This record gives sequence, structure tokens and C-alpha cells, in this order.
Amino acid sequence: MTQSFFEWMQGLSFSAWMLEETWASPIIQCMHLLALVAFAGAVLVVDMRLLGRGLIKTSTARLARELDRWMIWSFVALFVTGAPQVLSTALKQYYSPFFWWKMQIIVIGLVFTFTIRRRVAFAEEGTLGHWPKVVGVLSIGIWTSVSVWARLIGLLS
Amino acid sequence: MRSAFEWVDALPSSIALRESLNAYPTLLTTHVVSMCLFAGLIAFWDMRLVGLTLRKVPVSNIPTRLFPWALTGYGINLITGGLLLYSQPMRYYDNFYFWAKMALMAVAGFNMLWFHYATYKSVQAWDQGREIPMSARLAGVVSLVLWAGVVVTGRMMAYAGLMPEWWNNLNIGA
Repeated sequence: MTQSFFEWMQGLSFSAWMLEETWASPIIQCMHLLALVAFAGAVLVVDMRLLGRGLIKTSTARLARELDRWMIWSFVALFVTGAPQVLSTALKQYYSPFFWWKMQIIVIGLVFTFTIRRRVAFAEEGTLGHWPKVVGVLSIGIWTSVSVWARLIGLLS
Repeated sequence: MRSAFEWVDALPSSIALRESLNAYPTLLTTHVVSMCLFAGLIAFWDMRLVGLTLRKVPVSNIPTRLFPWALTGYGINLITGGLLLYSQPMRYYDNFYFWAKMALMAVAGFNMLWFHYATYKSVQAWDQGREIPMSARLAGVVSLVLWAGVVVTGRMMAYAGLMPEWWNNLNIGA
């Protein structure tokens, strides 16, 4: 079932176009990397604040509120630029364990970010003990592992 | 220049690094992760200067509180990038995007120094307010464009077949 879905994606005319068009893949990969930088910055500034580092003179809630839209829109950009890469190399992705680990951790990361992390970041300062630090470490760990698996798809598949 | 690259290429430690199965994936992955730390934080510093985000954060807070982390990322980035070059110097010698990346990094570094020693000296006058001087905004835009260029040319280094025609005509690799 899953394999036939990936075979269908690989067989799309868009996938063929992506592979045949010399500049399509490089341009989309560059845009994906720029979106990754924006996403990493938006996440890191808040995570470091949760750890009691970085911009400590500004409340975590204010930073989180301000950087939320940067985080969300850069993630949308990551998705929009990531999807064509998956389509054009669908079978390579299907057979790569790193792709599946990446997808699983992205789902965990999204759920974590929009539930626990959001609640902790918007909570009143000093009311949650050590939890902000735990959440900051987990958030950095989750999103770092996503970029590690993503890089390894291309290198070790 | 070419002989220096060839000399490094023939060093036993360069060959050992090149032939190691794990070195390249480990170095490249660390290079990307440290780039996220460095470029991610610098991008938000630049966007603060431009006035796109973090407008309620005093400008002077960012260099003192975020730069140590950004520079840590940059340090790791330089070391891993240096080792990647050391392991395959001849792969990069005739690569247009490698030299473009080096040039962009040099200009970005110059822009950073110029900003630090000229515009940033008057930061107390515009630290809290929203009115950032045009020279600081300009430095932010230039920095954003240059570092984006570094990221793009860094990615393009993998595409040896997509060098500009005029570069290929120079026949640097021959």
C-alpha cells in the first residue's frame, strides 16, 4: 500500500520534470536550506530563552509570540520546498530508514511544539520550575535530529 | 595556488580523511547543524536591524546575549568546513561555487567589522527606540543577502555540472 503510493509519486509527470529540469532540484534545495535557517533561528531564540540563556531581558512569552509566525511560515516554506524533493526521489526516500525517522520525528516535533512547548513558553515566568529547561533541551534535540536525518538521507541512502 | 591544493591533496591525513567511510557524512552533517546555529541567529539579528522582527528587544541585547552562541556555531562551521576542504581539496579547486562562497564570506565578514566599528558605536542613541539609522538597516540587509548567498553557494558546490559557462572557459582545473 505505502510502497505503491511512493511508486505513484515517483511516476508523476511533475517528478519526471523535476528530474529532467537541470535547475529545478538545486533551486528548490537552496530554498529549502534558507527556510531551514529561518526555522532554526526562530526556534533557537525561544529555546535558548527557555534554557535561561540568550535574550533573558525579554520574557519568553513575548519572544515566543513574536517569533511564532516566523517559525510557522518558515516551516510552511520547508514543507513546500521539501515536498517536490520527496516526489522526485520518492522510491529513494521510501527505502531510506533516515527518511522514515525524519518523518516520525517531524510529527513528534510538531505535536510537541504546538502543545507542551507552546504552553510552557506562554506560561507566567517562574511558575513551572525546571520544566522550561527540559522543554528547551527537548525542542533543540528534536529539531536537531530532524536536520541530521535529513542530511543523511542524501548521503547514506 | 593549484600546487598548494595538490600538496594538501597528497598528504596522508587528507587521503585518510577522504577514504574514511564515516568522516564525510559526519563532517557534512555537523557543518549543516552548526550552520543552523550560526546563520539562524545571525538572520534574526539582521532582521532586528532591518526592523522586521524582535522590535521590542533592545538592539544591544542581541550581540551580548546571542553572539557567543552564534560564534560557537561559526567556529564549528569553520572547523568542519576546513576539514571538508582538507579532505578533498582538488574537488573544490575548480569549483566556481566554492570560490564564490569564500568571496561572499569575506565580504560578509568585512560588512560585520565595518558595522561593528562604525555604525554600532552609536547604538546607545537608537537602542530602545524603533528608529534604527539607515546605515544600520543597510548593514542588516547587506548581511542577510550575503549570508543567504553563502548558504546558497555552499549547497551549489555539490553541483559540479552547473558551473557558469565563462567559468568553465577559464579551464582552471586543467
